Amino acid sequence: MATDLHAFGKSVKRREDPRFIRGKGTYIDDIKLPGMIYMDIVRSPYAHAKILKIDASKALALPGVLAVITGKDLDAYKLAWMPTLMSDTQMVLPIDRVVYQSQEVAAVIATERYIAADAVALVEVEYEPLPPVVDPYKALEPDAPLVRPDHADKKTNHIWHWESGDKARTDQLFNEAEVVVKEHMYLPRIHVSSIETCGCVASFDKVNGKLTVWMTTQAPHAIRTVFSLVTAASAVGQIPEHKIRIISPDIGGGFGGKVPVYPGYVIATAASVLTGLPVKWIEDRSENLQADSFARDYHMDVELAGKRDGTITAMRVKTLADHGSADAAANPSKFPAGLFNVCTGSYQIQAAHIEVDGVYTNKPPGGVAYRCSFRVTEAVHAIERIVDRMAQELKMDPAELRLKNFIPPDKFPYKSATGWEYDSGNYPAALKLAMEKIGYADLRKEQAEKRARGELMGIGISTFTEIVGAGPSHTFDILGIKMFDSAEIRVHPTGSAIVRIGVQTQGQGHETTFAQIVAEELGLPVDNITVEHGDTDTAPYGLGTYASRSTPTAGAATAMAARKIREKAKLIAAHLLEASPDDIEWVDYKFQVKGAPGRSKTMADVAFAAYTNHPQGMEAGLEAVDYYDPPNLTFPFGAYICVVDIDRGTGAVKIRRFVAVDDCGNIINPMIVDGQIHGGLTMGMAPALLEGIFYDENGNIQQGTFMDYLLPTSMETPAWETDKTCTPSPHHPLGAKGVGESATVGAPPAIANAVVDALSHLGVTHLDIPITPWKVYEILQAHGLTEV
Amino acid sequence: MHFTGQETINVPMQAVWDFFMDPHRVAECAPGFQSMEVLAPDHFKPKVGVGIGAIKATFTLDVMLENLRAPDHAEVKGHGVAAGSAVDFNGRMDLTSESEHVTRMDWVADVNVSGGIASVGGRLLESTARKLTAKFFANMRENLQKHSSPAKE
Amino acid sequence: MTQHVQVTLNGKPFQADVEDRLLLVHFIREVANLTGTHIGCDTTSCGACTVLVNGVPAKSCTLLAAQVDGAEIQTVEGLEQDGKLHPIQEGFYEEHGLQCGFCTPGMMLVGKALLEQNPNPTEAEVRHAISGNLCRCTGYVNIVKAIQYAGKKMSAPAPEPVEVK
Repeated sequence: MATDLHAFGKSVKRREDPRFIRGKGTYIDDIKLPGMIYMDIVRSPYAHAKILKIDASKALALPGVLAVITGKDLDAYKLAWMPTLMSDTQMVLPIDRVVYQSQEVAAVIATERYIAADAVALVEVEYEPLPPVVDPYKALEPDAPLVRPDHADKKTNHIWHWESGDKARTDQLFNEAEVVVKEHMYLPRIHVSSIETCGCVASFDKVNGKLTVWMTTQAPHAIRTVFSLVTAASAVGQIPEHKIRIISPDIGGGFGGKVPVYPGYVIATAASVLTGLPVKWIEDRSENLQADSFARDYHMDVELAGKRDGTITAMRVKTLADHGSADAAANPSKFPAGLFNVCTGSYQIQAAHIEVDGVYTNKPPGGVAYRCSFRVTEAVHAIERIVDRMAQELKMDPAELRLKNFIPPDKFPYKSATGWEYDSGNYPAALKLAMEKIGYADLRKEQAEKRARGELMGIGISTFTEIVGAGPSHTFDILGIKMFDSAEIRVHPTGSAIVRIGVQTQGQGHETTFAQIVAEELGLPVDNITVEHGDTDTAPYGLGTYASRSTPTAGAATAMAARKIREKAKLIAAHLLEASPDDIEWVDYKFQVKGAPGRSKTMADVAFAAYTNHPQGMEAGLEAVDYYDPPNLTFPFGAYICVVDIDRGTGAVKIRRFVAVDDCGNIINPMIVDGQIHGGLTMGMAPALLEGIFYDENGNIQQGTFMDYLLPTSMETPAWETDKTCTPSPHHPLGAKGVGESATVGAPPAIANAVVDALSHLGVTHLDIPITPWKVYEILQAHGLTEV
Repeated sequence: MHFTGQETINVPMQAVWDFFMDPHRVAECAPGFQSMEVLAPDHFKPKVGVGIGAIKATFTLDVMLENLRAPDHAEVKGHGVAAGSAVDFNGRMDLTSESEHVTRMDWVADVNVSGGIASVGGRLLESTARKLTAKFFANMRENLQKHSSPAKE
Repeated sequence: MTQHVQVTLNGKPFQADVEDRLLLVHFIREVANLTGTHIGCDTTSCGACTVLVNGVPAKSCTLLAAQVDGAEIQTVEGLEQDGKLHPIQEGFYEEHGLQCGFCTPGMMLVGKALLEQNPNPTEAEVRHAISGNLCRCTGYVNIVKAIQYAGKKMSAPAPEPVEVK
């Protein structure tokens, strides 16, 4: 019987699946309410323009069109502008100027979806085009047009400057260095493109004054608070939080793209408040790609200093961050460049100096919406590429260089040169396992033989350290709200339980994994535990799911709440067993009298007693809440090795094998963790080989639909090989670390390093991603190596 | 996009000039032309249908002739919108008499396209523009042949 | 302009008068109220809208309802019969072939159609069959396993239904 109760670490099948495999999920566009009307959006073809006139007369004449909302209409309610998560401001609808292509310019409200779309084509907008700012370096030139003239105190497009590390010591080490390598690395803008686009159904009940919004959001509580504050600052009149209910129903993928507040949500909500009718807004894919939050767009100058014997001593990075037309990245407020300064990576680097400058351009705002852990993808790309560059310079094997410089396992907790305290790690073990699994030594032999025959094969390594679980309240907040997370557990008389959490799944399997945590802690069958989240009326306040934070924060809160219940349960068990609580121990999922294992009570026994036979003087019931303030972040890590073969006829890069060894501490559900890694690796390969968003000199997006923005299909995606090491987190109640983004962080440099490795004998030292066939083909052509 | 071109047309220069000064004749030759409003001898609003790749759009253009120096120099400026797309352009034409019945036309145009047509049709934009331009000049030649006195071959 | 569209939908007759330009995916989701078929793009690229039209996978966002007048349409809701899951559904459950679930209906229908032609496909054959269906969550590894699992189940003599709680 006891083995039935062991839930932690088991590949329990998912509780979410029964409805999804039957097509019975409830995604935003599935929601139909009586009287519901539809909203669609008129968007700017120009990246930068004055709005001279908006003529909605033809649209309003179409039967079924109820209203056309413009910036001037919202401005009357002081709702034309809204705050961003980084305390910048962003237009909801423009009053007189647009600042990115596909910016929302007006909204049409109609009785039916197709009528709303027809009406959008009938709204006539007269623009006066203005010169767009597309290149972030040009944006900083003295005569550059201003993207944000509304920031009257600013006379430039420069947003902020951020520094980290010890400049003096870093400069000194660089001056003393025996070898210095430097590369300019550009990580282009990419778009997360969850298969479900963004949308909402906003429903304001005029009778009881309650606003309910079903929304594709990864952080419903934060949205509720922001909405209340925005209405307070407006002329609509504040809707207090107890009259706002945000519901995240089933969400078809988030990955960070469903954290920001998009203008569509605000306009639909305003429309509902004003009409008292439910308003549905759901984006097309083109709208999603062209206007929603992006990720990356970091121009990095990366330098590494070291000794001839391969000892790395210092790192320097100077980055220009293209933020588009508003700083709307969903970073913790003290970190405009996210956690980018974790870029010293898995190595003992004595000193580092990091500088990041944010700049405005005429592109959609955003910055961290693509499974990136707050800019850790950028940080890891920088260090893993430059370490390989150093290996190339020193003519040293890249695995050997890494092994030489890893933070040794006995040096944890380790304080990095930029101030992060890594909780635990064992990098050599992970890398050695990966090398063994892929047959590294044999691959190098094969490569040498192939090279002699003119065949191009490359091996790339990435040994990354992730940083997740934001975060401790002394350092982390979003718009002032601290980044704790929460769990509330209630055990019912007949031995089942409900747990409500402050985080929000978008496919990660929380309904299963959080039930497993409670099952394990309370000795109740997993099937007897229901997990709820996403409804701000019932779930305890949490900061949501992104940046791989759910297990580190809410997972901890769940364990702690369960342990509070167990403490009370022990007292009830003692009462039932007529023993002293000091003589009761929790063994094998039972409360046992020490030394008398035959005298025991299960949690189910205790639960029943909590309502029918609780000790006098004690409150009835069996429940607990925990708001968990993590003492530190957690640091999952991994070692990835990628083998590529290059087709000399086309330049195409084929991933022959990819071994991913991940360490995320103790694992709740191995099946789910592997699923996260497969998906993460695929979203790491995507920017490495396929995805990139570029704008022409007029600010036109060149990848505005899936015809040009290429998501990996089953044909490009290799059969990923995964393995694990386990280095638990010493401070997390479950020893778990979180893993959702590790693979997206670690994979791109492994692939880029493999391609550079394949071409390094030709003198290639760096390639920017995406490494398209054409990029490789041009190099082959230049060296006379193309094959027909 | 920046285009330049040189066309040799086998009619006298005055015939070419007259052609370009008649908006109806020019409009007839424009591929995709649907209808036009003439506001003044130098200001017209044609409606033109354009297809690039998977996108078809009907542009309402606002075109103005400027800096006219009969019979050999004209400039045009214009701007147009379609649902989700916009175009801004300016152009210049200079005519030279190569002989009594042969005119050389040198032209320059700058065209900026914004919106859906540029994003979705981006890769095809320039080649489609060249095709449309070639078609226009072919149509123009036919029109001139019909209207002018027959020229020596 | 309206069209009268009459189909067999998941084995039952269904008919309605619709606008001639109504997309099949909206016919299914809004007129027939079956919301298991999803919309993920606007360029026929993602396959989330895949249904079976006369047994053949079709992207319902790129068909008009009027075009399928008289056809047999199967959506994800038609996979389960008399309370028993189809082996393809079992396969996705057993092999963790879904995470957010949004691409899943389309994937399962394509998988089902493949297995009806080729009950024992290789990994390469499965990957080729689902190459018109995008998934952002799973990286395809477990989707391949799910479809191969279902193939084995469908070829087995007397398949035992799996309990999906």
